[in-house]
Amino acid sequence: MKLPTFAALRLPRRLFGVAVVAALGVVFLAPRPTQAQNTGTVTGQVIDANTQAPMGSAQVYLEGTGLGTLTNQAGRFIILNVPAGSYTIRVDLIGHRAPDQQIDVPAGQTTEVNFSMETEALGLDEIVVTGTAGAARRREVGNTIAQVNLADVPEPPVSVDALLQARVPGMTVMQGSGGSGSGARIRLRGNVSVAMSNQPILYVDGIRVRSDSYAKNVPPVGYPGRSGNDVASPLNDINPADIERIEVIKGAAATTLYGTEAAAGVIQIFTKRGHTGRARWTAQIEQGMNRMQKFGVDPSTRPACQPGTGPAYGNTCVPEPAITASGGTSDYLFINPWLRGHLPSCDDVAAARRAPAGLFQRGWPDPTAADALQPCDNGFFSDLGAWQQRYSLSVAGGGEALQYFVSGAYENDEGMMPMDKEEKVIVRGNFTFAPSSDLQIQWNTSFTSDEISNTAAGNNAHGLTLNSFRRDRNYLADESFDAINPFTNQEITSDIEHLITGVTATYSPLSNQTNRLSVGFDQAQQENRNLRPFDFIRAPLGIIADARGEFTTLTLDYVGTLDFNLTEDLRSSFSWGGQSIATEIQATAAYGEDFAGPGEPVVNSAGTTLGFEYRERVVNAGFFVQNLFDFKNRYFLTAGLRVDGNSAFGEDLGLEAYPKVSASWVMSEESFWDPDWGQIKLRGAWGQSGRAPGAFDAIRTFEPVGWGGEPAFFPRNVGNPELGPERTSEIEVGFEGAFLDDRLAIDFTYYDQNTTDALFRVRQVASDGFFDVNNSSDQLENVGELSNKGVELSVSGVILRGENFGWELGGTLYTNKSKVTLPEEVPDFTAGDGWGWIQNGESVPVMRTDFCLPDPDALGVDPDDVEERHGTTRADGSVVDCTIGPNAPTHIIGGFTTVQLPYGITLSARGEYQGGNYIYDGAAWNAIRRSVIWPGCYDVYSTIADEGLNALTAKEKAQCLVEFNRADYRVYDRDFFKLREITASVPIPQSWLPWGEDATFTISGRNVWRWVNDDFPVFEPEMTNNNDNNPLSRDGVSSGAFLESSLLEHIPPPQTWTAAIRVSF
Amino acid sequence: MRTRQNIQSGILQVLAGAVVALTAVACDTDVTNPGPIQDEFLNDASAQEALVSGMERAAGIALNWIAYTSAAIAREVHPSGSTGSFGITIKQQRGELIPEETSAYWNRAHRARFLTKDGIRRIESLDPSEQDQDALAEAYLLSGYSHRLLGESWCQGVIDQQPVANTAYLDIAEADFTTASQLGSGDVRTAAIAGRASVRAFTGDWSGAVSDAGQVPTSLRYIMPYFDIGDDVQSNRVHVSTKNEPYKAHTQWTTWIEDYGLSDNNPNGDPRVSYMVTDEDGDAAIDCCGTVPWWPQQKFPDNEAPIDLSAGEEMRLIEAENHLLNNRLTEAVSIINSLRTAAGMDEVNPATVNEGWTYLKRERAIELWLEGRRLADLRRWNDAGTPGELQPLEQVGDGNTNTGSHLLKRDFCYPIPDSETETNPNVRGG
Repeated sequence: MKLPTFAALRLPRRLFGVAVVAALGVVFLAPRPTQAQNTGTVTGQVIDANTQAPMGSAQVYLEGTGLGTLTNQAGRFIILNVPAGSYTIRVDLIGHRAPDQQIDVPAGQTTEVNFSMETEALGLDEIVVTGTAGAARRREVGNTIAQVNLADVPEPPVSVDALLQARVPGMTVMQGSGGSGSGARIRLRGNVSVAMSNQPILYVDGIRVRSDSYAKNVPPVGYPGRSGNDVASPLNDINPADIERIEVIKGAAATTLYGTEAAAGVIQIFTKRGHTGRARWTAQIEQGMNRMQKFGVDPSTRPACQPGTGPAYGNTCVPEPAITASGGTSDYLFINPWLRGHLPSCDDVAAARRAPAGLFQRGWPDPTAADALQPCDNGFFSDLGAWQQRYSLSVAGGGEALQYFVSGAYENDEGMMPMDKEEKVIVRGNFTFAPSSDLQIQWNTSFTSDEISNTAAGNNAHGLTLNSFRRDRNYLADESFDAINPFTNQEITSDIEHLITGVTATYSPLSNQTNRLSVGFDQAQQENRNLRPFDFIRAPLGIIADARGEFTTLTLDYVGTLDFNLTEDLRSSFSWGGQSIATEIQATAAYGEDFAGPGEPVVNSAGTTLGFEYRERVVNAGFFVQNLFDFKNRYFLTAGLRVDGNSAFGEDLGLEAYPKVSASWVMSEESFWDPDWGQIKLRGAWGQSGRAPGAFDAIRTFEPVGWGGEPAFFPRNVGNPELGPERTSEIEVGFEGAFLDDRLAIDFTYYDQNTTDALFRVRQVASDGFFDVNNSSDQLENVGELSNKGVELSVSGVILRGENFGWELGGTLYTNKSKVTLPEEVPDFTAGDGWGWIQNGESVPVMRTDFCLPDPDALGVDPDDVEERHGTTRADGSVVDCTIGPNAPTHIIGGFTTVQLPYGITLSARGEYQGGNYIYDGAAWNAIRRSVIWPGCYDVYSTIADEGLNALTAKEKAQCLVEFNRADYRVYDRDFFKLREITASVPIPQSWLPWGEDATFTISGRNVWRWVNDDFPVFEPEMTNNNDNNPLSRDGVSSGAFLESSLLEHIPPPQTWTAAIRVSF
Repeated sequence: MRTRQNIQSGILQVLAGAVVALTAVACDTDVTNPGPIQDEFLNDASAQEALVSGMERAAGIALNWIAYTSAAIAREVHPSGSTGSFGITIKQQRGELIPEETSAYWNRAHRARFLTKDGIRRIESLDPSEQDQDALAEAYLLSGYSHRLLGESWCQGVIDQQPVANTAYLDIAEADFTTASQLGSGDVRTAAIAGRASVRAFTGDWSGAVSDAGQVPTSLRYIMPYFDIGDDVQSNRVHVSTKNEPYKAHTQWTTWIEDYGLSDNNPNGDPRVSYMVTDEDGDAAIDCCGTVPWWPQQKFPDNEAPIDLSAGEEMRLIEAENHLLNNRLTEAVSIINSLRTAAGMDEVNPATVNEGWTYLKRERAIELWLEGRRLADLRRWNDAGTPGELQPLEQVGDGNTNTGSHLLKRDFCYPIPDSETETNPNVRGG
């Protein structure tokens, strides 16, 4: 049966406006705490027991009354209108504990009560919900769950991507580039799929939200790189300031209950909720600058003469200029005239423009021509960088029956390149209703409007980056500013509107029975507009594309839990539930070329127009059962089973079942354990989850394509009626412990996961001829296996703990060793646009070239005389192996430190090292094979001039001399370290705040310093395309196409320096 | 007044109703997505026309790319802005066709072979009353041309995943041309006969070739059309690669046509091989010579320029070649001069049969310029050891890239590429 589309469920904009107004109305009309004459007030402060530092965002409440509030940044709280009487007052803050207190509240008086909270390194009774059937205490859970608590984050996070970076062991956050709006690719425990998306699935407040990237802004026809070649991530539609905590579960052992789509892990975001008590407002203003670190070569190392000229060649030396005709320099690979904050000085620009014609290469301006209006730095603050500004305001409060949290945020960020800009508005309303004591309804809604403008970049012949990097060998044969600058005359804009709304009803008719029903609706609408106007330098008649996509996810989730005691010591908690996730993509694109003349065109202004449509719907539905046995509150055994159906399964495949079992043991509560030794919990888990194939992968299909305006059929998909999900099994064991009086916390996990029936895109025999319109002929098949194993270690320690002073130091270690097992009949295949391969016995993916040098350091040897082809047999019978190493990091080491100083001043820093992997540099190869005088080869050019060709190694020749140049020799060791963040946070004295309760001033730097391997001559490791598997991205249409990351013509992510003031009142 | 219990009960009823309704919708995983066309739909009689259009697109794309790259190897054009990512690779600039760089050509040519054979099977499986005989004849004709392209261009072949000689493709081509000539009428029939003549000439069946050629008038032009729609995929690739947008990848500079063809530099040149002189260089440095002048061909002046699949002039030259094979110089020269006169060019007067071969080889180069056939001619003449000289700049050079031809090597045919050896165990490592 064909199902109705979501069209009927689409939320009209006007309706959304009404919803927002209604939400705001609820805030202001919400029932207020009852004014009563016989009431009193409770006030006090919550501080850290060790450092005496005030503790903000702690929940203080009177048990059983619904009365409570949050502490401000000064740790202070006030609860008004408390009916006179006796109460138990409690304070909750994740990672801390304090004993409850009994208080009496006399009518008409104020009762003061203070809390001194101890750090709780191991919160065994904290509630977690991710990966469990219902909520569970941490002690019951047999797998590791990483938590990021926003209260512990010192800097004001700029995005969820940045928030997660270097904070979760086992998580790799790969930044795409320095382009505006660029999202990150996130991997948990490596790549678990070769063919399908490896992006973890995302839940926000229990509602499934799209996690794969948005569609790339690229015209529907022509080369699929006519774009900024960056994609945005839905993850960044969440305002980080709205988040209370993030839970991350990483492998199949933990994700079983999420079923067929969860093999790559789950990220669950919980946003803030309201609380009882008076409204509490928080406002934040953040201002800052982006600046670029150098990613090229110091101009002083340039050769005196251009290659091929000078005494070494027996002719006249043509000097290699320190500054090009555009004013660019090699330390920024000649793009600095277009980078905000890095414009050449006005003197340098003037000098470059006056350079005698013919002295250097083509493109130098005519010295007699008037100076162009080239931006330059006049030294008077004209060029500080790309301005960042963010403003947010939130209010939380409520009464016994209704609590609310409403927020709004606006950010306006300039990018590093001229057309780069992002303007974002996010509003949120979270409402908690409690119509009765056994029923609670939570309604959370957020709406994001994100307007992104990009400069044409990446591997794009119409792009600014490519044409700057390639100097006078660019597509204009001209490196002057006047020649290249017209590439900025393009409009590449993405407007994204994203609505996430969900209702969760929790009904507990009995003290031991809970039912939770969630209904969620996630819809993002994206408009990508891509215009090269009339008279554009490389398309004189102009080209326009306008694509609109709608990404919808509908969640229906029910979980029931029944607790009962089997014996005095043995408790059972039985859970059951069902879940349905329906995702839909509807997209249309219009394309036009050849405008009649200049103006502001629309698609039908073009002489030739084309239209495109894409629709995809996938439904995944399943149910589960689980039972937890709890023996003496320290031995826990959980067993569960998930059963799924999916519309993308082949017609011969039925339901798929995924079992799990886990156990935990709180060893430190045994009688033999001396409490002075600390606390420790041992745990182990085994489970399975899956990843479904794509919507069209199982069916043999053809595609309607045109030929001269006539309909024509072309092959599309070979088809496989037995196609099913890949199945990942994982075992993980580890422990969590807190030692030395909670000064040392350790969390260790060993994981070993194995994906069977792995979906490999098996290349079909070429001469069978079933090639699609993109010239690929492969079919997803459930063949082969891939495995990931490694460890995750998180250690944090309090080095110094004193009154008004503290020093905390910590680190994380993550290792990953992956391996592919291919059946003999499946040939190796590529997985990316560089040298990434899926190859038997190697990592996922492995870098392997076609050719390699037996002795790269050999002198006086021409590479093409000695290079060997992979797979060929040498005379001695050995086989040439050009395998280099993994593309994904094999180890990530993170470190952080926090120093508490007197007056509440906090200093913190966080860094990350990634290593063990390799990356292909397509940008350098593309330049050198066009005979660009390449900064990465400056040392080689100088060696040739000084000592001759025979002084070069075979590898140097292969990398830098065009006659020997091969892409094969442009694979680098990708090791790098980045200082991700440094922050200083200073409380503003309350006496300065007549209108506020507390305020904090924070200065933060992000990506402030980096180290890269010596093999990395230019560029930097985080300037790759970030596209993921998205059928609307055209070059991502083949699933798995972006498994490999490689360097392309981008700019790296910039440094960011910001100052923020946060005020609560 | 409603009590709290009533309100709660109402909410629960609504929730229960929502659960029931949404469960009914959500648990049905049977989804039909629009867009791709399921295989069995192509078996419908109404699909015949679109099947043939798909064959034509596949054959057109295959011919497009092979005509373009073969033209560079045969030095019908010279690289100017070629970088490999656009234009031809460094190896191809030197005259080499290697397995790691030729998969795309093989794949496209075999897609055309698959689609023609698959389409013929589908049409023939229809009830005879539903079969479109014109469509079937055109399908056989396109199959013939697709197999001719494979047989002429590749050194060896693979059919049904088994290695075969390249002539196996030509055997299929000959058979399918025959069927097309029997089913078709008008130009389709004549083109099928002309196609068969060219196949028979390539395989050395000269009596058959001449017999077929004799049935084809000089006026015949059966073309592969190209289009200026949407993107470059449907456009004439030789034109796209040589035009001033965006790469200027090829030039007539330092080809024999530079001195022979019609241009501003040579106003009395042959209009059949015309080119344009510009003061611009190609956009990228090339292996031999750095940046070089960009003088684009003018045979295909726009994206919609068709490529001849069969033409009467080729038939005449088959007849002329057959005369030379039998040492009938006068008859051969007569045919050559008739074509030259028609083009407004001076007649030639070779004194010997060997000299006659030189003119015949040049005349075929002129008539079949940029049509993807020259490399096959060079290959069969090389294999047969025929007399006569090629034009100097058409030949392999001496390695000195400053003088003469910049070709360092000449491969006459495409090897079985990586895409086949990596996927087909029967030819793996071959």
